[in-house]
Amino acid sequence: MKKRKNIKYLLWMMPAVFLFISVWSAHSGMNEVKQIIENAGTPFDDVKSIEAVLLLPVNTVLVKEKYQGGLFHAETRKDKIERFQCSRCHNHKEVMGERSAEIAHGDIALVHGGKEKPLSCFTCHKKDERDFLVTENGIKVDMDHSYQLCGKCHFRQEKDWVGGAHGKRVSFWAGKRVVKNCTSCHDPHSPLFQKQWPKTYSRPLQK
Amino acid sequence: MGHFKNMDYKKKKKYNRDRSKQCGRREFLKGTAKAAAIGSTAMVFGCGNGLFGSKDKFALQWKEYFKKNYRLMTQEEKDETVQRLELLAKVKRDADIQMSSKEPIEGVLFGYAFNVTRCEGFMECVAACVKENNLDRKAHTQYIRIFEMEPGEMTPESGNGQYFHEVPVENHFYMGVQCFHCQNAPCVRACPTKATWIEPDGIVVVDYDWCIGCRYCMAACPYYGRRFNWNEPHVPLREMTKKQHYLGNRMRTRGQMEKCTFCVQRSRQGRLPACVEACPTGARVFGNLLDPKSEIRFVLKHKKVFRLKEALGTDPKFWYFID
Repeated sequence: MKKRKNIKYLLWMMPAVFLFISVWSAHSGMNEVKQIIENAGTPFDDVKSIEAVLLLPVNTVLVKEKYQGGLFHAETRKDKIERFQCSRCHNHKEVMGERSAEIAHGDIALVHGGKEKPLSCFTCHKKDERDFLVTENGIKVDMDHSYQLCGKCHFRQEKDWVGGAHGKRVSFWAGKRVVKNCTSCHDPHSPLFQKQWPKTYSRPLQK
Repeated sequence: MGHFKNMDYKKKKKYNRDRSKQCGRREFLKGTAKAAAIGSTAMVFGCGNGLFGSKDKFALQWKEYFKKNYRLMTQEEKDETVQRLELLAKVKRDADIQMSSKEPIEGVLFGYAFNVTRCEGFMECVAACVKENNLDRKAHTQYIRIFEMEPGEMTPESGNGQYFHEVPVENHFYMGVQCFHCQNAPCVRACPTKATWIEPDGIVVVDYDWCIGCRYCMAACPYYGRRFNWNEPHVPLREMTKKQHYLGNRMRTRGQMEKCTFCVQRSRQGRLPACVEACPTGARVFGNLLDPKSEIRFVLKHKKVFRLKEALGTDPKFWYFID
């Protein structure tokens, strides 16, 4: 008789236990990173939160595209080109002088584009206005905004770059968003990274 | 009395010869215990530095030994401690350091993403990390490890970290591991002295002076993210990073546990960690998880991401993603 009473008591306890477990698991799930991220929706106020005033690094341009947080900046290109402006030589007159092309641009080795369809100078450079680049549709592109041109073929990379999955930010994770331009990392004439020796070595994990 | 004093001094001197001039809590306590047995005069030698040059230094060190756990300090105490450490660094090592005890920024939870497709194994990040965090050059301590992996392999345990050839190599990919700053960190629960904890901005930190060196946390970490100082860390003075944080890259001593702190001295000032800044391929993404406009949130939303050993429930804030 007593035994049966005990079983009855246990059966009554079951829902309570279940309820406790479910509440507890739901509660512990609240602290998971995934949940925290889903709950966080307010944009971070950089100016209020970070004491040090985060100035824009010099030589940046406002990118003509928007990312999820609004406008952002990219590193410039023109000031890093040794012989800019190109129109100093390439103006309406033809460039005279023997071997001038070799002397001026002999260091450029064009390794860009597939084997079936290699690129030439004027795939990207505008023939009649040498300070600018040009897309295949004939749209003029400023050298500082080269992403507009690169993105015509590498559109997936451009999308990632605008969002933040390709390329990288310059120095700060907070403050005004400043990212590296395409040409900050890639040499436009041979965009693939060169092979190089590793800086150091790593020990096996379990040591 | 004098005889005893002398003997103790000689012993200490011998003991200290191969231990450099550092002294930690443990040595001091040892010293004081001995001193109590012999006589209070010997206390002066407790610290292993031999004779103290000045009273001030002794006072500084005395205060340093009996400081509180970082989490129990008030802001004034933190400021005082930090100042004291700056002074001590000047006295002991002739190093002009600037130490901060900057609090976590509100509304920030740090997260990290690593692009497995982009990493080419140059190991620039490892070198930058060693330099930034004043890691032991003699013992070759590194927080980050990069492994060359066979295609399809997903366990860094079997990866090869010692590749002596030009990279990248065809048909291989590179995977970096470091501390993943788990939100449910097993190392924190393993610590018997509460010397390690998760800061409100998600960084798992260590109060080096409260670490007793039991290495329980090292055993508890399923990602092998913690490093132990078996010996006095050796960092040349001219290579030392002078901008330090109490919980970050300040100098450790023998018998203390250390780990990646997402470069707390940098990230709390809005700067990127040294590894992210050094990465030449842009494989590393760092940012605020609570900010919907941050890059890390974009990666989590739009990319295929995964975490290591997710089944353990450690909930790391470090994601791998592929293009």
